[in-house]
Amino acid sequence: MTIKEKGYSHWEGELAEKKLPWWPITRFGIRSTFRKKFFKFFFFGALLPAVVFLVGIYISERLEDFRFMIRNQTNFLTVDPGYFKSYFTGDFLLFMMVAILVFCGSGLISDDLKHNSLQLYFSRPLKKGQYFLGKASVIFFFLFLVTLVPGLVFFIMKLIFAGNFKFFASYPWLPLSIIGYSVLVTLFFALYTLFLSSLSKNRRYVSILIFAVYIFSDIIFGIFYGIFRSPYFALISLKVNLQQIGAFIFNQKLPYSIPWIYSFLIIFSISLLAAVYLKNKVKEVTIIK
Amino acid sequence: MSIEVNDLHFSYGKVKALSGVGLDLEEQAIGLLGPNGAGKSTLLRILLGFLSPDEGEGKVLGYDIKEQQSLIRRHVGYMPEDDCFIPGMDAVTFTSYFGELSGMPRQEAMKRAHEVLYYVGLEEGRYRLLETYSVGMKQRLKLAQTLVHDPKLLFLDEPTSSLDPQGRKEILELIKDISSKKDIQVLISSHILPDIEAVCSHVVILNKGQIAAQGEISKLKELKYRLYEMKVKGEAQSFLEKLKKMGCRIEATEDMILKVYMRPNKNPQEIFRLASEERIQIRHFVKSQSTLEDLFAKAVGVD
Repeated sequence: MTIKEKGYSHWEGELAEKKLPWWPITRFGIRSTFRKKFFKFFFFGALLPAVVFLVGIYISERLEDFRFMIRNQTNFLTVDPGYFKSYFTGDFLLFMMVAILVFCGSGLISDDLKHNSLQLYFSRPLKKGQYFLGKASVIFFFLFLVTLVPGLVFFIMKLIFAGNFKFFASYPWLPLSIIGYSVLVTLFFALYTLFLSSLSKNRRYVSILIFAVYIFSDIIFGIFYGIFRSPYFALISLKVNLQQIGAFIFNQKLPYSIPWIYSFLIIFSISLLAAVYLKNKVKEVTIIK
Repeated sequence: MSIEVNDLHFSYGKVKALSGVGLDLEEQAIGLLGPNGAGKSTLLRILLGFLSPDEGEGKVLGYDIKEQQSLIRRHVGYMPEDDCFIPGMDAVTFTSYFGELSGMPRQEAMKRAHEVLYYVGLEEGRYRLLETYSVGMKQRLKLAQTLVHDPKLLFLDEPTSSLDPQGRKEILELIKDISSKKDIQVLISSHILPDIEAVCSHVVILNKGQIAAQGEISKLKELKYRLYEMKVKGEAQSFLEKLKKMGCRIEATEDMILKVYMRPNKNPQEIFRLASEERIQIRHFVKSQSTLEDLFAKAVGVD
């Protein structure tokens, strides 16, 4: 190898602090997720409920045109906060969100641990919080696309199809509920995924963990609930806890007769533990061994 | 001054890692040496702003090590010892990515990435996925990401570890070029002393958290002692004892060569006089160049 004299010259520009120093991390995370095999299939699968519910909103405003299709089942097409709750807390959507997490989140930290990339990140003017924000924003991006964005689109389309603001006047708090639940579920899943991703250097194990913890918590709840018939076992299930909180936020009847605050405390505690663990697991100073 | 620290003290709990370290470095290439546990990593951590010293103060490139850590990391380049990369990236994306994280605009970072990859000799493989890179290529890539934002000072941690002789030669050639022709200062922490000797003009030797020696390598070697190599025939025990009494340090190599470290104020003819007294034949006698290894051993007290 010979040294290429022409290849190196000093850079004339000035290094500056950016407003979003973590954005390159997020941009790369989003791009690399889209490049993954089968991701697009799962991602568009996760958008299917949104399409179905959007069509439902359209039909609800054109009931006369579609009476031959829906016959007497008009209740199904009553667009109210319950309709939104059904979308946000549906089993299928939650499952697809977990599938998205496997694609976009499993390697976020585990790959950096495996390939010692933390040393490269923290030798830059990047703080630990900014690093985590960059990683978590990848999850925010994908989950907001299947929660917050469709939710707000439903609301706006309902107003457009109706041609008046009656719906908004009836439920002025609904946009806040949409934003609140979307942020809560996304924040929880982001911390949940980053925590699991930091447990192993092998992204396959992390993928299994992301699915297993979600599915098994629900299976265990099902078994105990089947035996003891106590609704308190619902607190074991991540899915049911999110559904309980969702029902509360959208002002609907709770699926299980236990206070919603218990579910909130469970979700909050898991998120807090994950955040504390991440803070202690990733240390900037260890980049120099 | 690029690195200026005074009376640095740092402890990990009860374990004292640095004790009264003071440095004033402005040379182009400096070697940082020391046995394991000497405090090299702690010093680097403090210089990069990851640890704040218990006592003492200092500046790196004019930025305070206690207050302006982020600015220090923006303007220096750090090349870690470990093999590190990001899977799924090619070299251009990887290099420009870290340029952006250092504060460069995206387009500029991309342009610079091509330039530095060309400079380190990775122009042909720059669009290949990093997972397919050899150890030597990864090492050059690490150097490229260190250079992308055009730092004024580089910290290189074991830059030639795990390289074959050819790869090692190439990296050293690059480092030498960077420090001598590109107006970039380099601080190399390494255990491979010939590498330091090949690249650096100055050296800092740490031992037990303190500076054991620092300065220009050639002067350090000259001032402390002169080195002679000899082969003798006969019962040398008493001869060697007398040499030691005279203040010489003796080292026997595996091929039966005796290395005699003599103070500069002593006359080498004394060796012959003593040999004559003890009826010892000196069959080989040359004035040898003392190596950095000799200096290191002396500084850290290893005989």
